[in-house]
Amino acid sequence: MQPCSREMQAMNSLLSPTQQIPLQDLQPNGNSGTHQAQIHNPQFDPTSSHDDFLDQMLSTLPSCSWSDLKSPWDPPKSDETPPSNPDNNVGFHYDEILASKLRQHQINGGGGGTTAAMKMMMQQQMMLPGRPIAAAGGGGLTMPLHNDIVDGSSFKSPNQQGGEGSVQALYNGFGAGSLHGTNNQSPNQPQHFHHPQGGNMQTQSFGATAGTVMNQSQASGSTTGGAPAQPKQRVRARRGQATDPHSIAERLRRERIAERMKALQELVPNANKTDKASMLDEIIDYVKFLQLQVKVLSMSRLGGAAAVAPLVADMPSEVGDCVQTTAGGGGSLQRNSNGNQPSANNDSLTVTEHQVAKLMEEDMGSAMQYLQGKGLCLMPISLATAISTATCHSRNPMINKGSSSNHPLLQSNGDGPSSPSMSVLTVQSATMGNGGLDGSAKDAASVSKP
Amino acid sequence: MNNPHHLNPTSLKSRFTTRFLRALTKIRAQKPISSSSPTEIFRRYRRIKVAADKSMAYSVRSRRIWSKAMLWKLRSRSYRRQDPCSGRRSGKTNQAIMKKSSNENTTTRREDGVGFVEEADELRQLVPGGETMNLCNLLDETAHYIKCLTTQVQVMKKIADFYSF
Repeated sequence: MQPCSREMQAMNSLLSPTQQIPLQDLQPNGNSGTHQAQIHNPQFDPTSSHDDFLDQMLSTLPSCSWSDLKSPWDPPKSDETPPSNPDNNVGFHYDEILASKLRQHQINGGGGGTTAAMKMMMQQQMMLPGRPIAAAGGGGLTMPLHNDIVDGSSFKSPNQQGGEGSVQALYNGFGAGSLHGTNNQSPNQPQHFHHPQGGNMQTQSFGATAGTVMNQSQASGSTTGGAPAQPKQRVRARRGQATDPHSIAERLRRERIAERMKALQELVPNANKTDKASMLDEIIDYVKFLQLQVKVLSMSRLGGAAAVAPLVADMPSEVGDCVQTTAGGGGSLQRNSNGNQPSANNDSLTVTEHQVAKLMEEDMGSAMQYLQGKGLCLMPISLATAISTATCHSRNPMINKGSSSNHPLLQSNGDGPSSPSMSVLTVQSATMGNGGLDGSAKDAASVSKP
Repeated sequence: MNNPHHLNPTSLKSRFTTRFLRALTKIRAQKPISSSSPTEIFRRYRRIKVAADKSMAYSVRSRRIWSKAMLWKLRSRSYRRQDPCSGRRSGKTNQAIMKKSSNENTTTRREDGVGFVEEADELRQLVPGGETMNLCNLLDETAHYIKCLTTQVQVMKKIADFYSF
């Protein structure tokens, strides 16, 4: 609750002189396009001292209480026919007024840059999806928070760029709240003044950034009463958080990346990994697997069973490390060509293997023709694995051949594991392992049915 | 009547299917199926795969970076096949476009700060046009790419099943 009480203090201190401002700016709300001019021309005088400024403010505004702020939310919303933009302007307008006021309190002439920051923030806000926050409560609280945000930015006046970044970054979080505050209608109105609750909600939803802002608000609350001789450069941040604009931007980036990772997790099957790195690996393997499936399926459409392309070693782009013969065609092919292929039993397979190995020694083309005659094909191990896992077909024996060293090594493929990634990995690792065992020629045949 | 294949005439699936089937019929019309030499078959396979990728990329138009990159790749490859000089030219323009997009996403090469550089690089190689994207956009593009790939595989499987009997 402490942050909320601090917020309350900050708000009271900040808004008592300036509470009439939003009202004035909210009421003539039809001219949403000119509110910028409104801000700057009559009220924004960078050269005046803050005393003069305060006098200006108080003179130009009718006196009204904080409670009257409730009502101005309604007319602006009902008046404007285009629902989103003028409401946005109302919210921004509101914050911009306060921002400009505070700016003048603290810095003379740093306002131009921050105005640009305001514009950028506005644009960013329009684009942001916003956060689910109690709207009017969020809107109400956005004011002091925004003040503090601007304080933060103006504090860093020597580092204008950073100030703008921080304002932007914080505004993305908080201003979005005000955005939704203006957009959301009556149900949130009664909450407008429930500052503690709103503060609670805000702090909880914004977490660290709210914490930082509240620290800033405390600092600014103490300083905005009088003329601060020096802006506080170092605001004590909450533990684990930082007021550095770069880290805030980094945090936002990380959040965005986390969102996208979550979306990807839903797309990829077997996405039960909590670790981000392993999740990325899963994603990579899944993409590889899908691309492989496309290749396999485009092969399978070449006129049925017997005509599947024997991919010879001189077509490296499609073959990969090793080639592999599968009895009865590929997995999907097997499904398609049920009646066409004789199901080879183990003995004939071994014989076939030896035959093909012999032929391969002499002439690749003849080996291919032999295979074709038998209704077999030569394909990369990865492809065959993909087929076998894609179709969950585990009945046919798989024969692997390693052609990297020109010595055909026959090696069992084993049963295709459930996940495509695992299958690819095991086959690849097995391939690598066999690739090293160069010397053993045809005798090193080991075929096992999965 | 409930059409199980095309629930929505404007969905990605139906767009891809119509384009792909059209391309397949064109390929079938071009060459007789009787070609049995390995290279011929390989070429046919290649053509079909290219048709599949192309129809997928066309269904997505240029709304996505990866589809744009894939279309460029396919186009430059086809140009190279027809005429070496024009292939070089289109290759250059391809480079220019890639450079331009990489200038727009100037944050490609810096350390992302989340420590997934190796995986990110591998993903960049997999997703077409991924070299010019920062991690955030890359993940976005990957999600859409995966969605499109699954659609492609589904449709192709169904077609293969349909024509195998």
